[in-house]
Amino acid sequence: MAQIWLKDRVDSAFITQTVCLDDVTIRFEIWDTAGQERYHTLAPMYYRNAQAAIIVYDITNQDTFGRAKSWVKELQRMAPPNIVIALAGNKADLPTSRRCVEYSEGEAYAEENGLLFMETSAKTAMNVNEIFVEIAKKLPKKEVNNGQGGRRLVETAEAPKTSNCCK
Amino acid sequence: MNSIQKLLSSDESIISSHEVSLVQGWMRSSKHLIILEKSRDLKALLVASEGVDYALPIDSDFKFDIDCESKSKNAGDVFISITYQKNKLLFEMLPVSKTNAFINELLKAMEHQSKRKSAGDYSWLKKYSKKTDLTVENQGVVMDARTCTVPSENRAVFVCTCAALGKFVILGIEVLTFCWTYDSVIKYQMSIREQDYTYIQGIQVFIGTWNVNGQSPSCDLSDWLTTTVDPPHIYAIGFQELDLSKEAFLFNETLKEDEWLRAVTKSLHPGAAYQKICLVRLVGMMLIVFVEENLAQHVHNVASDTVGTGIMGKLGNKGGVAIRLDLHTTSLCFVNSHLAAHTEEFERRNQDFHDIDSRIAFTGFLPPKSIKDHDQIYWLGDLNYRITDLDLTKVKNLINAGKYQTILEHDQLTRQHAKGNVFLGYKEGAIHFRPTYKYDVGTDDWDSSEKNRAPAWCDRVLYKGDGIRQQVDYKSVPSLKISDHKPVMSLFNSDIRVIDAVRYRKVHEEVMKKLDKLENEFLPQVMVDNTEVVFDTLRFLEAQNKTLIIANTGQVPVQFEFIKKFDDSNYCKDWLHIEPYMGFILPGEKCDVKLEVYVDKRCASKMNSGQDKIYDILVLHLEGGKDLFITVTGSYERSVFGCSIETLVQLNVPLRDVALGKLIELESSKDSGTLSNTSYSVPKEIWFLVDHLYRHGLKQQNLFEHPGLPSEILLIRNWLDTGSSDPLPGSVHSVAESLLLLLESTAEPLIPYNMHPACLTASTSYVQAKQLIASLPLCSRNVYLYLCSFLQELLSHAEENRLDAKTIATLFGQIFLRDPPRSRDPSARGKSQTQTQARRKANFVYHFLVNDFSELIAPVNHPG
Repeated sequence: MAQIWLKDRVDSAFITQTVCLDDVTIRFEIWDTAGQERYHTLAPMYYRNAQAAIIVYDITNQDTFGRAKSWVKELQRMAPPNIVIALAGNKADLPTSRRCVEYSEGEAYAEENGLLFMETSAKTAMNVNEIFVEIAKKLPKKEVNNGQGGRRLVETAEAPKTSNCCK
Repeated sequence: MNSIQKLLSSDESIISSHEVSLVQGWMRSSKHLIILEKSRDLKALLVASEGVDYALPIDSDFKFDIDCESKSKNAGDVFISITYQKNKLLFEMLPVSKTNAFINELLKAMEHQSKRKSAGDYSWLKKYSKKTDLTVENQGVVMDARTCTVPSENRAVFVCTCAALGKFVILGIEVLTFCWTYDSVIKYQMSIREQDYTYIQGIQVFIGTWNVNGQSPSCDLSDWLTTTVDPPHIYAIGFQELDLSKEAFLFNETLKEDEWLRAVTKSLHPGAAYQKICLVRLVGMMLIVFVEENLAQHVHNVASDTVGTGIMGKLGNKGGVAIRLDLHTTSLCFVNSHLAAHTEEFERRNQDFHDIDSRIAFTGFLPPKSIKDHDQIYWLGDLNYRITDLDLTKVKNLINAGKYQTILEHDQLTRQHAKGNVFLGYKEGAIHFRPTYKYDVGTDDWDSSEKNRAPAWCDRVLYKGDGIRQQVDYKSVPSLKISDHKPVMSLFNSDIRVIDAVRYRKVHEEVMKKLDKLENEFLPQVMVDNTEVVFDTLRFLEAQNKTLIIANTGQVPVQFEFIKKFDDSNYCKDWLHIEPYMGFILPGEKCDVKLEVYVDKRCASKMNSGQDKIYDILVLHLEGGKDLFITVTGSYERSVFGCSIETLVQLNVPLRDVALGKLIELESSKDSGTLSNTSYSVPKEIWFLVDHLYRHGLKQQNLFEHPGLPSEILLIRNWLDTGSSDPLPGSVHSVAESLLLLLESTAEPLIPYNMHPACLTASTSYVQAKQLIASLPLCSRNVYLYLCSFLQELLSHAEENRLDAKTIATLFGQIFLRDPPRSRDPSARGKSQTQTQARRKANFVYHFLVNDFSELIAPVNHPG
């Protein structure tokens, strides 16, 4: 799993990742736009053609969960109607004492809004591949067969000061 | 190519050559494939770049496959893999007609080879390259010569690097057009790593052959088919002379097929359940393959074919039938043949073998697979080879004494095989059974008919393939007596490669990860020295520059471009200029990009009103890669240039002393038309400039035509903005230009845009023109009439200043009735239309330069 989050990111990173789903191979082209507010206006450039989006928040920071919710609202309003949205509560490797957003809270919100939900750890790679597999399963069949092409997007609402978020 | 031509001997020639890409992992390198011919016979394939990498004989070890699956996906490039012995190379070709022609030549060369009866001498190839195979130790540096590509839509940048002594050297750059076919690369990588995710499983293969002489199965076949304790995994059972009737021969229809199938099915080993995989029949030759039920689910790509070599060399009274299948990843081929009869016809039998070997073609593969393209080949049948040069009685005596070895020395097949005339590369187990032909039906007695045929081992089983480990049994079954032949059976312990699903997934994922990693490593990467470009305080008409350094820190050339955001008309704001805004950077090199900010008359009003500010986010896009965001910020010191007339008339203090909020408030309320009592009738700035010209410039020639000095204009700007008590600096020309600039920097021209059509229409009528001016907002009307009065005064000194009303009218027509700002892209407006409009604007203003308009001034005199 590529660790490509950079502190104070000032770009939209682009990487590819391949996920094997039974007999089908799906290539993700991933655009990671910065969660920073100043680049918010640029995000539509990346999600308007996306088939999937992952919104990442930090489970040790309630504020990022709030921002994740506003990203969900924006995507639901502005992104292509059939976009697959996944919500990821990152930093699940940290001790429970530091947790600010309960698992049940994230899960309940995801369920209400029809999102995929997983708690992940970029540090230990926990659920990172899994979340892509789950997204792959939910992509329309035609896309799956097509296997490649198209921009898929990762949105992150993580606080810019945090490091080591990954896709 | 030239170096190869020099090496050609007089009897050698190049048949065809083609430019291809050798694909190795994520890398590709440009190669030439060349088909050579020697003495119009032997063919070879050269893989060459600068020198010849490989010189491969096109012989029985040479195979090639066209990857048609991935072809259909990308409707583009053709992938072919060339296998020599066990090693493979993957090539990509462009979908052009030359590719087809080349593949055809290659197919022809292979067909020619397959018709040759013996292996040729390929020692002549050594002069081209020492590498006459593809074994790993021969790959050396050549395999390190690699090419990296950047997958992106339809274009890819193509760099050739050569790894020598661990150092990468760029050899050259070439830009090619091709589509990336990911699946072919994965398939190829997986085939290379087959050993890592497969394990060997031993299976038992039962081979049976029987010439049944047209008889029906009236007896139990268990003696023949069930001879072992453990059930075999695979049965391949062949019959000859299944039906000797004319109907069978002419129409290829027979009831015997079903009868025998049922009889065989009934007698298969009772210890296992079997599934019939395939049955193929040509006249009397029938071949059936059964696979044990649990194993059957791993059988894929079953195909069959038949070849007649009988009458006319075509008909099916003699010939062969064959079935091929893939079991897990191992390919198996079974051939049942009935070769030409009669003792003296052994050469004819050899020929039949070669015909069947070369003519059997399993379709559904590209190119169609032939017998030799299989890992394991089992060849059975009534091969009809006899015993010659040995007295009949002696033969029978030797048989009775069990001295088969002595007789076998006179067996035609043993002899022809030893000479390499037939079944080249095949093996046959030792024969420890009585000849299978010819018996009196119903007995174990030799033929007692008039013909008194000599005994012979007509019915045989041969095999070829590394995976066929051991022949555990090879015998005839004398207890089956319905035919003049005895059935023969052979049992093999064979190895097949089985895919371990868990390991397969693991390797597949590894391959994928490796390709992802490679692909991501070869994505364009750059570093920008500064992503937050901050400019010092900017002033009207004073440009500032900053340089941005884009360094290519990746491994591939980078094509960069500043791209538009959404539906913006340009990639940056109009006060910013980027040079160059797109470019190409080689790995390790840099590109300096100049950013220039410059607030001029086009954008000053937007800055003053707060509608725009020095803030922009640039999107630097790397083709096939990521986007970088660069923010440009700075502060702007507002000036009277860019203020509206409405605002200026309300400023009783210098602009520098006006709070920013107040200025924005004035600009936003300018359209409400509320002027306070303290308002000037004309802006003081205009008054100062006009007054200066009135006092110093009335007699100046070329006034308004001669440009001012930029440095003086900046001084005048400062003088106006600060309300200096010093004398107005600069020459009259600079003052005149400043006046024009002040009028041009407003958001709307003095006569607002919405009145322009009416003004242009009224340009021939002074009465109408006057009405229009009378309807102008108060302060605009004042400024208009004030300026026209001044211009009349100026023209009254025409003798000294040589100005004429027409020239002044043209100039001020463009100022008072300024065109809306044009977008940067070329305007659609035609030139002649612009000229007509300019003339009408001049006509409109001209009225006010030559007529008395005092009646317009009268009502607007200062109220107080």
